[in-house]
Amino acid sequence: MTRARGDGGVRFAILSAAGIVLFPFLFHAINGYAGLATQILMVSIASIGFNLLLGYTGLLSYGHAMFYGGGGYVAALLLIHFMPDHPNLWLAVFGGTLAATALALVVGALAVRLYGIYFALLTLAFAQMIFFVVEQAEGITGGDDGIQSFPNALLPIGPYNIDLGTALPAFDLGPFGNLSDIKLWYVLTAVILYVVLIGMRALTRSQFGEVLTAIRENEERSSLIGFNASAYRLAAFAISGALTGLSGALRALYDGTISVESVGIDRSGSFVIYTIIGGVQTLLGPIAGTGIIMYLESVLSAHLGYWRLIEGLIFVAVIVFLPNGIVGTIRRNYLARVAKERAPSSRALLAESLRARPGGPTQSAGGAEAGPERLKND
Amino acid sequence: MTSALLETSKLGKFFGRFAANEDIDFSVAPGELRAVIGPNGAGKTTFFNMLSGTTDATRGSIVFKGADITRVSGTQRVHLGIAKAFQTANLYPEQTVLQNCRLAALAHEQGTFALEVVRRSRRLLVIDEIAERAIEQLDLGNVADVRSGDLAHGDKKRLDIAIALATQPEILLLDEPVAGMSRDDARKTGALVRKLADTITVLIIEHDMDMIMGISDSITVLESGRVLATGTPAEIRANQQVQNAYLGGHSEAELEA
Repeated sequence: MTRARGDGGVRFAILSAAGIVLFPFLFHAINGYAGLATQILMVSIASIGFNLLLGYTGLLSYGHAMFYGGGGYVAALLLIHFMPDHPNLWLAVFGGTLAATALALVVGALAVRLYGIYFALLTLAFAQMIFFVVEQAEGITGGDDGIQSFPNALLPIGPYNIDLGTALPAFDLGPFGNLSDIKLWYVLTAVILYVVLIGMRALTRSQFGEVLTAIRENEERSSLIGFNASAYRLAAFAISGALTGLSGALRALYDGTISVESVGIDRSGSFVIYTIIGGVQTLLGPIAGTGIIMYLESVLSAHLGYWRLIEGLIFVAVIVFLPNGIVGTIRRNYLARVAKERAPSSRALLAESLRARPGGPTQSAGGAEAGPERLKND
Repeated sequence: MTSALLETSKLGKFFGRFAANEDIDFSVAPGELRAVIGPNGAGKTTFFNMLSGTTDATRGSIVFKGADITRVSGTQRVHLGIAKAFQTANLYPEQTVLQNCRLAALAHEQGTFALEVVRRSRRLLVIDEIAERAIEQLDLGNVADVRSGDLAHGDKKRLDIAIALATQPEILLLDEPVAGMSRDDARKTGALVRKLADTITVLIIEHDMDMIMGISDSITVLESGRVLATGTPAEIRANQQVQNAYLGGHSEAELEA
């Protein structure tokens, strides 16, 4: 209540926009290519959706690939079967997202009654069923081969049909590459990710987010003050599935192929890894985790056969040494520093309390430590 | 007693063959402060859980304001006007006292579910009003901004009541509200509860006989899952059956001690 009206929303909007715009150029400086930057942004949308469930709702899904791959397959099949002549990107992506949302509502209706390991196992079981169906339905999905080619979807805006493979005009940026490295795909993905990010920030601060946090913290109490906990969890699951489906649909159309791995268990596990490494319950953590792991994978797996081992070691190291994830740890340290600067040092408080009440010197001991917690809860 | 606010008839709860509650005919009038007492294992908490909807009744029915609510969920019952404070304080430990109460007020304002994913609760000034009133009624004003996990035991128990109160109930169920409190703290809480009963109906389970005899309008005694007696404190005190069953035949003087 001591805070001014603003809560850093404008600053967040500007800085995150700048970050997304500058990302592919900075990425180029560390040998990351623009295509990978595009893929990172796409997959980040799924990670953000995954974090809504893991971080803000407290549910660990081990089956999010069913939404990711499901969205991708539906988008691809829509292009092939319903619009081979006029491949419309909006419709394909919308269809894929809608299918993933519907699937999430069906799976969620059963899963949100369960907790912890049982929830994870049920989502895993559903994802494995979907995997089996996709693998077996060769006539439709291509089975193990996946779908190797489908129409290049165009983006209709007004009278124009835009090919997202079009590059931006050439402009040399020295160590940061060339503007023409960037294709319109990056621009579209950047805009969508930005909207998702700003939307997620609003959601986590909204009444909905407030109730979600309350249910995560104490479900029994939440039910007995009048919140329907299952309905909230189902809504969070559906939104999470929708974002993951959106991500998968974009990725399939961008890659121009889709494989059965996109609904596989490794894919489900990747969202867990990305989100935890970046930091659950943070807005930027899922993006950071996705970017770091996808970048390292692309750099290292080309040279090293044992990338998976390294990925596993990073995951273990983060869980053991940075349980809040990378972004979570940075935020924690930052908040602790801010609180320290604002609050008088504990030594000063101690002196003050000694002056005020001789014989009662232990009063202020918690002052400096209590700061960050209070800020976080604000 | 025809204008009862809450009424049960032949209410029963069975765990297999064991009857935790059986044939409970119970009725409380609007504005009453009714105590439910009985020895350990008499089924008091089970009875409260059936009233609040956290446990399903095996038999019988519960009628609230003339409507049968036996099959209505606990979450729905809160919105009808039945709130419960827990035997062990059941809070949001990471959040402040004010925010704990704001959540209950928010639930009251927006209902069981709302897909309100953009607008924030702070625009709802009525929530703050309700929460602040509840905090005031439980005398928690000086700790309103304290993280509830850091509160002292007595304040935690009072906050639990404040949370229930912030749901704007017509009837408040208090399960041992002063358990574990010091004598002074218990007396203070008893006085606050008595004051609450001036505006709403209160049902209270408590072992503190001093307090019960002092603040209750009427008392229901349960024993082995059944109603043994109902009456004013004076009637219950004089009831030989109650003394035998509940107090093991101790005298009235001992009861007062």
